[in-house]
Amino acid sequence: MVDLDNVSTASGEASISSSGNNNNNQTPKPTKKKRNLPGMPDPEAEVIALSPTTLLATNRFVCEICNKGFQRDQNLQLHRRGHNLPWKLRQRSSKEVRKRVYVCPESTCVHHDPSRALGDLTGIKKHFCRKHGEKKWKCDKCSKKYAVQSDWKAHSKVCGSREYKCDCGTVFSRRDSFITHRAFCDALAEENAKSQNQAVGKANSESDSKVLTGDSLPVAPTPAAITTPQSNSDLPENPPQIVEEPEAIVTTTTAAAAAAVLNANCSSSSSTSSTSNGCAATSSGVFASLFASSTTSASASMQSHTPVFTDLIRSMGCPDRSADFSAPPSSEAISLCLSTNPGSSIFGTGGQECRQYVPTHQPPAMSATALLQKAAQMGAAATNASLLRGLGIVSSSASTSSGQHDSLHWGLGQVEPEGSGLGPAGLGLGLPCDGDSGLKELMLGTPSMFGPKQTTLDFLGLGMAAGGSAGGGLSALITSIGGSGGLDVTAATASFGNGEFSGKDIGRNS
Amino acid sequence: MESMYQEEGSSSVTCSPLQLFSMMSLSPSIGGIGSPYPWLSRELKSEERGLYLIHLLLTCANHVASGSLENANTTLEQISQLASPDGDTMQRIAAYFTEALADRILKTWPGLHRALNSTRIIMLSEEVMVQKYFFELFPFLKVAYILTNQAIVESMEGEKMVHIIDLNAAEPAQWIALLQVLSARPEGPPHLRITGIHQQKEVLDQMAHKLSEEAEKLDIPFQFNPVVSKLENLDFDKLRVKTGEALAISSILQLHSLLALDDESSSSRRKSPLLSRNSNGLHLQKVMLMNQSASLGDLLEKDMANGYTPSPDSTSSSSPASSNASLNAESFLNALWSLSPKVMVVTEQDSNHNGSTLMERLLEALYSYAALFDCLESTVSRTSLERFKIEKMLFGEEIKNIIACEGAERKERHEKLDKWFMRLDLCGFGNVPLSYYGMLQARRFLQSYGCEGYKMREENGCVAICWQDRSLFSTTAWRARK
Repeated sequence: MVDLDNVSTASGEASISSSGNNNNNQTPKPTKKKRNLPGMPDPEAEVIALSPTTLLATNRFVCEICNKGFQRDQNLQLHRRGHNLPWKLRQRSSKEVRKRVYVCPESTCVHHDPSRALGDLTGIKKHFCRKHGEKKWKCDKCSKKYAVQSDWKAHSKVCGSREYKCDCGTVFSRRDSFITHRAFCDALAEENAKSQNQAVGKANSESDSKVLTGDSLPVAPTPAAITTPQSNSDLPENPPQIVEEPEAIVTTTTAAAAAAVLNANCSSSSSTSSTSNGCAATSSGVFASLFASSTTSASASMQSHTPVFTDLIRSMGCPDRSADFSAPPSSEAISLCLSTNPGSSIFGTGGQECRQYVPTHQPPAMSATALLQKAAQMGAAATNASLLRGLGIVSSSASTSSGQHDSLHWGLGQVEPEGSGLGPAGLGLGLPCDGDSGLKELMLGTPSMFGPKQTTLDFLGLGMAAGGSAGGGLSALITSIGGSGGLDVTAATASFGNGEFSGKDIGRNS
Repeated sequence: MESMYQEEGSSSVTCSPLQLFSMMSLSPSIGGIGSPYPWLSRELKSEERGLYLIHLLLTCANHVASGSLENANTTLEQISQLASPDGDTMQRIAAYFTEALADRILKTWPGLHRALNSTRIIMLSEEVMVQKYFFELFPFLKVAYILTNQAIVESMEGEKMVHIIDLNAAEPAQWIALLQVLSARPEGPPHLRITGIHQQKEVLDQMAHKLSEEAEKLDIPFQFNPVVSKLENLDFDKLRVKTGEALAISSILQLHSLLALDDESSSSRRKSPLLSRNSNGLHLQKVMLMNQSASLGDLLEKDMANGYTPSPDSTSSSSPASSNASLNAESFLNALWSLSPKVMVVTEQDSNHNGSTLMERLLEALYSYAALFDCLESTVSRTSLERFKIEKMLFGEEIKNIIACEGAERKERHEKLDKWFMRLDLCGFGNVPLSYYGMLQARRFLQSYGCEGYKMREENGCVAICWQDRSLFSTTAWRARK
């Protein structure tokens, strides 16, 4: 219920932006005049900006007899009945009450903007209190503070009720801290089957998190043997070392990310319990030494620790720390990297397939990209001479073998290995020619070479007038293929196709 | 011809491929399909065959574009001798391109085309599987997810209520990863709502199930709202965007099909396209080349069984090549803008397959799909069924759409990033550089992916994922400007 009194008696504190549409504070949106909130507060809604005092006020209605405070006038009235005082319940105003939305008075706040207004009075009060208010409520078990009593109550119910224990021995009561911790912890962990079996703490752990199994994980925390030592002794942090080291390792993703997070975590958690700190610092120390050694074998002092990241992500709990984790992205990175889902892990199979597949059984063939570039180069050859040279190149690169002539069969699937070693398998040769323009030239030819009228494209780019080149019949032939117009081609093919071949010609080149 | 042979007679031993090409392309198939060309003294090596295939493809496209269907037919025959969906990269590409070209030609006989396609079964499960393969066998989607999720997470820092709209909710992995990241937030996870749009209810059901399961495990308050709809028919009310909630939109390879709507909207203004038949067979009038907005779809709609008289050229006053004002794509983007998203991440193909002429599109498509097929060649075995399915059902269909379709039918209207930039900018979106951290993660992912060919390029906060030098996909982030 809105206290209309407070709002309307603008004692300089409250303010109401005029009703109607919210467009007062923003540029008019295009077209749509929908009734119900397509992402904007109802344009018909009244935007109300209550003052901080109003928002923070509690128990403004006080009983004169016993000084009991109430948040709402209605409640006070009902209470007054008990004192046999005259009471009056105000009715809801009979006419339609216009919907109201509330903005936060704090100008730096996101919800200060009417387009992000909240629809509920209680909501805006709580929001203001939480965000811009003083945290007066403190949990007795941990050190968390809250500005809103209900938040505090809710927290204390769960505080300490669950405990999450990392493999390294650290205990957490909050799931998110636990998860974040495990992110680093895991980055240092050795991935092997044994460690995977140790499902940690409150994992709702599902077996599918095991996807990160040892070998083929692309983002796998590399040099396995990172583990956190058993003891919680503090190890000196080596932030710079950690940060630099990543290059030394092949799969730097998790390692570096973990390092970074670990770093941040360590620094931020310095004020927290020694357990967590120790663990973290230890991890970083381990991490550093791991990088230093850049071997994959576990160092003796390390305890094998493996829960897979996803395990980590899945499981709950984390140490309760007062410090904020300052590097959520890293754990996100890790979790992203290692997000697993048997059906669709982001990293999973693709990477595995990629890494495991070695096209040895297939002949090293020129990639299609390289072929296109080559064709373009050939097409871009400006003169007949260079074309022939180009031909020479082509033919020289392919050994001539006298032999089968059923080469045209392969179209039907009988591909035989070619193995002319024309280039690295599957990888483009990176020919210098700009493939795009070259092929276009191949298609379009250079204008200067064209005859006056080209209705179709001379795709070899030779552009020689049909029949007009010193290069002789070959070039003329080629030109006429690309020809100057469909009719020409038709004619050409017609003439060629209708029996110009003689057995002599056919047999000539065999 | 004679002279050529005489000239080359002395050098028959070093017969070069191009000579062979020219000879082959000019002669009709002798002995029918499958019979050897007797004058070939040796097998063509893979490279030569590849070059030859390119040559033939271009020739064929040339013929199709100019309407010389007889020649196109001949060329097609020759290509089919060499191309194969089981062969090397170039053979496979050629197979799909020629199929597309043949389809295009066939469309000039609409009755025939329709009849041949009338008993096609579209297996939903297969379609879904193919999308899955695409996700698994390529890093593109994964990188897109990494970048998208990171952008969302960063823009939603501090938010308690997050609403995400997924314009194509097919792959749960993206949101599962996001759930995991969000659950690890220092301030705890927000209340998350995901509205997923897809054409098939089953896919959405599957997503809902997987995501809810994951959210439950992570103890994140979560809601999944399925919206079964085509993007172009989307009713924005169904998205149920609420007051005061922070909204993010994820659009992965979805916007380009909206560009086809322009043609649809302008087709009604168009005169009937020109089609004539003469004794030599069907020839498409040159005017079809010039007025690319003329729609084959229109052709198909008319009753063509009996052919019709050619209309005079003057009636080809059909609308000029569609202007950049993509009415329906624009209105869609405007509608998205009006939802006031905090962030919208757009991933699109970064190739120009929306050229107005066939040749333009064919050339560009050759390069792009060569790169994509190369990816597969480098990472997947030639005998893999998954690879075959992706090539056929995903790429093959895209190629067919790019090459054989015109007008509103042509949905695969990929465009280069700068065009998207302009479009989005025009509709009130301001580009937001992708987070450094997100790019770092993506880079590392690619590095660890294990395949050297995949590269990532960053420019002005926009990311392009490439194969070798060829940019294939781009990801950009946007906010709704006021």
